[in-house]
Amino acid sequence: MARVKLTEHKAKSLLYDLLGYSYHGVSIDRKGLSQYAHTLSKDKKYVVKVDQGIKKRMKQGLVKLRVSSYELRDAIDELAKKGYGQFIIEEMVDYDKSDEKYLAMERTREGWLVSYSEKGGIDVEEHASEVKRAVIPYYRHPELGSGSNRDPDIHRDDVEQIAKELGIDINILKQLREFCEKYFVSFLEINPLVVRKGKVWLLDLAIEVDSTAQFFIRDGWNENDIVSEKHKTPEEIAVAALNKKSQAAFTLTLLNPNGSIWVLLSGGGASVTIADEIHNLGFGKQLGNYGEYSGNPNAEETYLYTCSLLALLLKSNQRRLMLIIGGGVANFTDIRITFKGIIQALAEYKNKLKKKKIKIFVRRGGPHEFEGLTAIEEWLKENKMYGLVSGHVLPLNEVVGATIKELRSPPSRG
Amino acid sequence: MLNINKLRKTDHAIISIGSHIPILQSMLDFEYLAKYDQPSLKAIIATGRKYIRMFFGKKEVLIPVYSSVSDLPSNIRNKITLFINLSSARRVLSSTCDVIAEFPNLMGGTIFAENVPEKHELELYHYSQKKNVFVVGPSSVGLLISNKLKLGAIAGTQAKQLVESQVFTPGSVAVFSASGGMTNELIRLTSQAGKRLSFSLSFGGDRFPICTPVEAFLAAEKDTDTTHIIYFGELGGYDEYELADLIKSKKVTKPVIAYIAGTISDMFETPPQFGHAKAMASRGEETSKAKAEALRRVRIKATNSFTEFLSLVKKIPAKIHNIAIETRHASSLRIIENRRPSLFINSVSHDVGGSVEIVKQDLLTMVKKQSYGWIVASMLLGKPVKSKELAEFFDFVLKLLVDHGPYVSGAVNTMIAARAGRDLVSSLASGLLTIGPRFGGAINQAAQHWLDGVGRQVEAHVFVEEIAKAKKRISGIGHRKYRIDYPDPRVKAIMAFTGKLKYKKYTSFALGVEKVTTAKKGNLILNVDGAIAAVLLDILSEKEQCSDAELKELIDIEFFNALFVLSRSVGFTAHYLDQRRLDEGLFRLTQEDVVYV
Repeated sequence: MARVKLTEHKAKSLLYDLLGYSYHGVSIDRKGLSQYAHTLSKDKKYVVKVDQGIKKRMKQGLVKLRVSSYELRDAIDELAKKGYGQFIIEEMVDYDKSDEKYLAMERTREGWLVSYSEKGGIDVEEHASEVKRAVIPYYRHPELGSGSNRDPDIHRDDVEQIAKELGIDINILKQLREFCEKYFVSFLEINPLVVRKGKVWLLDLAIEVDSTAQFFIRDGWNENDIVSEKHKTPEEIAVAALNKKSQAAFTLTLLNPNGSIWVLLSGGGASVTIADEIHNLGFGKQLGNYGEYSGNPNAEETYLYTCSLLALLLKSNQRRLMLIIGGGVANFTDIRITFKGIIQALAEYKNKLKKKKIKIFVRRGGPHEFEGLTAIEEWLKENKMYGLVSGHVLPLNEVVGATIKELRSPPSRG
Repeated sequence: MLNINKLRKTDHAIISIGSHIPILQSMLDFEYLAKYDQPSLKAIIATGRKYIRMFFGKKEVLIPVYSSVSDLPSNIRNKITLFINLSSARRVLSSTCDVIAEFPNLMGGTIFAENVPEKHELELYHYSQKKNVFVVGPSSVGLLISNKLKLGAIAGTQAKQLVESQVFTPGSVAVFSASGGMTNELIRLTSQAGKRLSFSLSFGGDRFPICTPVEAFLAAEKDTDTTHIIYFGELGGYDEYELADLIKSKKVTKPVIAYIAGTISDMFETPPQFGHAKAMASRGEETSKAKAEALRRVRIKATNSFTEFLSLVKKIPAKIHNIAIETRHASSLRIIENRRPSLFINSVSHDVGGSVEIVKQDLLTMVKKQSYGWIVASMLLGKPVKSKELAEFFDFVLKLLVDHGPYVSGAVNTMIAARAGRDLVSSLASGLLTIGPRFGGAINQAAQHWLDGVGRQVEAHVFVEEIAKAKKRISGIGHRKYRIDYPDPRVKAIMAFTGKLKYKKYTSFALGVEKVTTAKKGNLILNVDGAIAAVLLDILSEKEQCSDAELKELIDIEFFNALFVLSRSVGFTAHYLDQRRLDEGLFRLTQEDVVYV
């Protein structure tokens, strides 16, 4: 995986800790309110926000302002009705519109790309021209970098300028950078950053961390703090679990539960190429899923992956279903072994697949290509699911053309 | 910086960090098919073994394994020009830094692991720039130069794939892709369209590939063989804008054909993460459409449709290729496909049609020319003995240890078995099976002591104190009869062999130990076992140039005990024959001989 969002509650807990502030926000799900009720004061007003990494929450009505403690339950119920399950409650801070600043940092090749603006808040995109940008280089590991780059105060001028324009202490910027380095943060956005008479409030904080860095983070975030933006099906969850346990890589995303074209693809690049071709030929809306496997999985893992995919496919209400088993010419993934797992899964769902009158189109190349393709061709023909089976001779995209041609043609009887 | 012309001109020596046999084997197959004399892979960093057996054509070769880069001997260290890092994502940063720091003639390498953190990639990016080495990856299938270099899984791991992709005929098309699978797909597609490759590489699907598309495009521009560039790009990141700048500023002038995948992402309000880590377009400029447009603005043939891309590739002018050269690989391929690993490897002897070779020399010639000591020492070492001293010493010891009277336990067991009516081999085995820590095994243990003491540079009295504290005895020290004032004449004869040695560090240490122990008790002298061990260590070290590691290995495999076993077999055999001749009948102890408690 790659860049993932942390919950705002976790992000703030870690950042406030590093800044030396104390953080009083409460993270709850719908049921959890009662157990935190005693920490909430009757005299204070609160803010309730959906904490699932959603952008533009305010504009979507996912933030409730000036909620008193006895109104909290209603506020949460109202947000929960929109399909959300994770919330954050913080004390309400009142401020002027002019106190709202914007600050973001992103890890880029040459350094931290800092974007900042004196006009922050929910309309920051409308003032895009006022957002200034500066790149602050990384300070190097002493053994890795050159001597002159070791000084953490390098580019102090830039940092000072940003601090001055935002009206904040320069140390806050330094600490933010330290925070991003320590926790493998890839992107950080504070909007609004409220600055009033030298005091600073980080009202809304969004961060993306590098999920591959989990091993290197001893004390900080872990996978439980990563938000999942949408509700996942049990099949998608099963594939994510498979991916975590395996040396190889697996992804599965449901796009359209009632799609008519489903894909069992291999390779990051080839899978996008095939999905593109479906989209380019005007059948993007019919695409049931996206996903891919790579890194030479064994037959057992490929079997499990295929089972999850077939389970999703069989829930589609379309009368006719097409499955593309596609991929480029593999470098080291063994076609005979991976196809053995695929055939095993197809055999297990054989009767249900036949009822759906499924046609299967295969295009794949790589080590033991001939053996793998021969096996699946025999199986598909025997079970009357044969659409096409081809090796590297057929251009990658043409498997899509053949599939769509079949989908367009009237169904054969019997 | 990546310099293809320079890579083509260099005779490479490659080191692999970690081992992934199918990938490494495919690199050897590539070189065999490219008619190399020997593989460029010179060392593997791994744990648990000394060599990895691999094929070079039909022949098996041993690639040495070291547990860390710092263990590499300097003659290999100075030759290394390239690395392939096959270790896990967790170890990529530290192991790659080690490699870059350790090898003075390193030009670059590739990294295979997926899931390397962005921060580590950037650290490696800045470090490799400073050290002026190229690094392709992470999560890359590697770098390929037609008929010259295959550094990774690129173009396939089966020899058949390599031959079918015609990567042995140098051509003029450079192929680049973030995706490993699509790199191979495009290599295949290019050859099917009648073109041949100049070189190809896969950046890897991460957000910050260490070798950037810009670096690769500049390498293609400078490469004298390349005339066209084929590029497979994806949604996510801003690389294509930098490529557009390169072309606009005329730093790259060769024609480019590009496909930017990921239009499917435009269908979604919140796009999902696609296959590669970087394949997520969170901002408008990162979409495949925007990036293809940016390239088209600088008049690159960039498309969002694979179909269109294919037809553009087909239009690249093809050169006429020498079919004879391309078909000659068929026979080499058959050799590769029909080979099988041997069950054993050995370095002692060989038998070709009845004529026996021992340590690479004809047995009959050897028998006429060499002493028995020379032959035994050579066979036990697995290579011809270099020095007269070792051959003579072996000869002497083989005679000296031949027997030690009928009372010792091994001889007693041999005699008892003989009297029980057992055959020669059973009786001999009965004697040999007695040899162990208390009988006959002392030479090896003594050698262990002297190697340890000298290796740690501890003083003799400290060494003696350490062993006394551990409540153990020093092997090679002590005798029942002989004392410091009544020395063992055999020890004196053994010591005479040190006359021609220069340093004698093991013998000196052993004598130092003797000085300490005899001060405590007169009979704690250096005995025959201890003396043989010390002198043999000195001869092996000074005259046979054995390293400390080799000496340690000889001790670990019981080389020193072998000498006793071989020599004493004569004694046991003699006692067996003697008992059979005398034919006294079954031996039995009486009640008085065994106390019942």
